Amino acid sequence: MNSLERILAAVTGDEADHQPFTMLLSLYGASLIKSDTFPYYRDPELWFDGQQAVVDQFDPDILISPFSFPIEAEAFGSELVFLKNYAPNVRKPIITSLSQINSLTVPDFEKSKAIQFFLKGNELLSQHYKGNRAIASPIHSPADLPSLLMGIEMWIDTLLFHPESVDQIMKKTVDHFVRLGNEFLAGGTTFLVVPVNFTNPMMISEKIFSRLLPYLESAFSQLKGPVVIHNGGCKIMGFIDRFAQLPNVIALVLEPTESFDKARLIIGDNLVLMGNFDGPNFVNLSGEKATELTLKILNNRKADKHFIFATSNADIPYDTPVEIIRTVVDTIRGFKKYD
Amino acid sequence: MKPNNPETEKKQDLIASLINEGEKHQAVELLHQWAVQTSFNEVIYNILEPMLVNWGKLWMQGKLSLAHGYVSGKVAEEFYLLAANDPEFKNSSVKARGTVILGNIEDDFHPLGRRLVGIYAQAAGWNIIDLGTDVPTQTFVEKAGEYQADIIAISAMMFTTAKNILKVRQELDRNGFSGKVKLAVGGAVFKLRPELVAEIGGDGTADTAIDAPALFEKLLGEKVV
Repeated sequence: MNSLERILAAVTGDEADHQPFTMLLSLYGASLIKSDTFPYYRDPELWFDGQQAVVDQFDPDILISPFSFPIEAEAFGSELVFLKNYAPNVRKPIITSLSQINSLTVPDFEKSKAIQFFLKGNELLSQHYKGNRAIASPIHSPADLPSLLMGIEMWIDTLLFHPESVDQIMKKTVDHFVRLGNEFLAGGTTFLVVPVNFTNPMMISEKIFSRLLPYLESAFSQLKGPVVIHNGGCKIMGFIDRFAQLPNVIALVLEPTESFDKARLIIGDNLVLMGNFDGPNFVNLSGEKATELTLKILNNRKADKHFIFATSNADIPYDTPVEIIRTVVDTIRGFKKYD
Repeated sequence: MKPNNPETEKKQDLIASLINEGEKHQAVELLHQWAVQTSFNEVIYNILEPMLVNWGKLWMQGKLSLAHGYVSGKVAEEFYLLAANDPEFKNSSVKARGTVILGNIEDDFHPLGRRLVGIYAQAAGWNIIDLGTDVPTQTFVEKAGEYQADIIAISAMMFTTAKNILKVRQELDRNGFSGKVKLAVGGAVFKLRPELVAEIGGDGTADTAIDAPALFEKLLGEKVV
C-alpha cells in the first residue's frame, strides 16, 4: 500500500496497512534544505526540494503544495513582510476603504508571479509523486480572504454594517477561489485544504456565519474535487455541522483542544477526521512528551478507519529539532491500529 | 457599583441582546434614551459597565466571538462619545485612574485588539495614549517618559512580532523604568502561548480586551512608586 492508497483508504473507510499521517512541514522544508525563507517562498523549485527533503526525512502520506495565504493576498495587491525563519505576513492590506472594493482586481493567473508560485509548485509535486502520494493544496476560503485584503477589523465591520459591500467583495473572492481551486485540481492536486482562520465561532457570530454560508455553498459546489476543512488555529466545533454539509467536503481537521468523539457525535462516522497534534508546539516538546501526546491521539482513534493523524494549527516551526518530529513519526509507524 | 435590581438587569440583558444581534445603532440609541431619563453616570456604572464585565467573562469562556467583542466595543465607544459632550457627566468625571501608552509592536499591523483595549480602558477611566501600529521600541519608552505613564500596553498578534516586545523590556530596564512603568502585553499569540508573557519580559496579560482594565488596575497596584 503506498501513501496515496493509504489516504484513499481513510476516505473510503477501508483498513490501511498502518495509520496514515501528515504534518504541516511546509515551512520546515526550508529548514531541511537550509534555505532562507525569502527565496523559499518565491521559488517553486526550492519548495519542491523542501518537500522532497520532508519525504526523505519523515515519509508522510500527504505533501503540501506552496502554502502562504499572505502570498495569495499579495496577488490582489497586498504588501508583504518577510521575516527570517518564518512564513511571510501581510504588512499592508490593499483595501483601506470600502469604495476600493469596486476597483479590486481579481488576479490574472498567467501574469501573477504569486499565483504562478502556487501553481508551478503544485505541478512539480503532482508530476513527481503522481499515483504515489497525496498532494494537498491550501487555498484561502473566499470568506476569509477579505480579512487579509482589508484587515480583520474592517472585514468584521463590513460584515456587520455594510451588507452591500459584503456581496461586492464575496463575488470577487468566490470567483477567484473557484478558478484557483480548479486550477490546482487540474494540475494534479489530490484535495484542496481550506483553513477557516476567520470563518469560525471564535471570530464571528452565528448570524454572520449564516450570512456567509450561501457564498461558501456556491463556491464549494463549483469545485471539481474534494475539500478538507482545516481549523486554521481556531476551534471549529460550533460550526462543524455546517462545514460538514458543504459540497465536496470529505474531511475536517480539528484544533488541538477539540474532541474527536464530540465531532463524531455531530457529523457521524463517514467523513474523515484529521488532527490534532499542535504543530507550532513541537519546538517546546521533549521526546517523551511528544510520544505521550502522539499515543493519546492514536489510542483515541484506534478503531476509526476514517482518521488521518495530522498536525493542527500553523506550521511546525523552522527551528524544531528533527529528532522530535522523527519521534512522532516513529510512534505513528510503530502503532498497531485496529488491534 | 450598586447591587443589581430586576429593572437594571433587564436593561443589561436588552443591551446584550441587541449587541448579540449586531444592532449597534439601536443599542446606543437605547442607552442614550435611558441616560436622558436618568443620567450618563447611572447608565454607565449600572448598565453598560456591568454588562461589559459579564460579556468579558463569556468571551473568556469561548461563548462569544471576536465580532461580539467588536460590536460591544463600538457601542461603548459611541456611547462614551455622547457622554463626553454632556456637561453634567464632564463635571462629575473623576481623575483618570492612570496613564497607559498603547500600541502594536514593531512590524505588527493588526490593530483590532489594540483598538478594543483602548476603548474598554478609556471607558473604565484610564487615560490612553494610542500610538497605533508598527511602533518602534524607542517610541514606547520615550512616550512613557513624556506622559509619565504608569503602564505600557503592547499588542502583538503573532509569535514573530511578539518577540520584538523583549526589546521594549530591555529598553525600559536600561532607562531605569523597571517596576516604575509596568509592561502589559496582549494578542492572540499570548493566548496560545501563555509562557511567552514571561519570556519577553511582560508583567501581565489579559485574555480579552474587556479584561484589560482589570489587568491595568492590578499592574498599577504592583507599581514601584
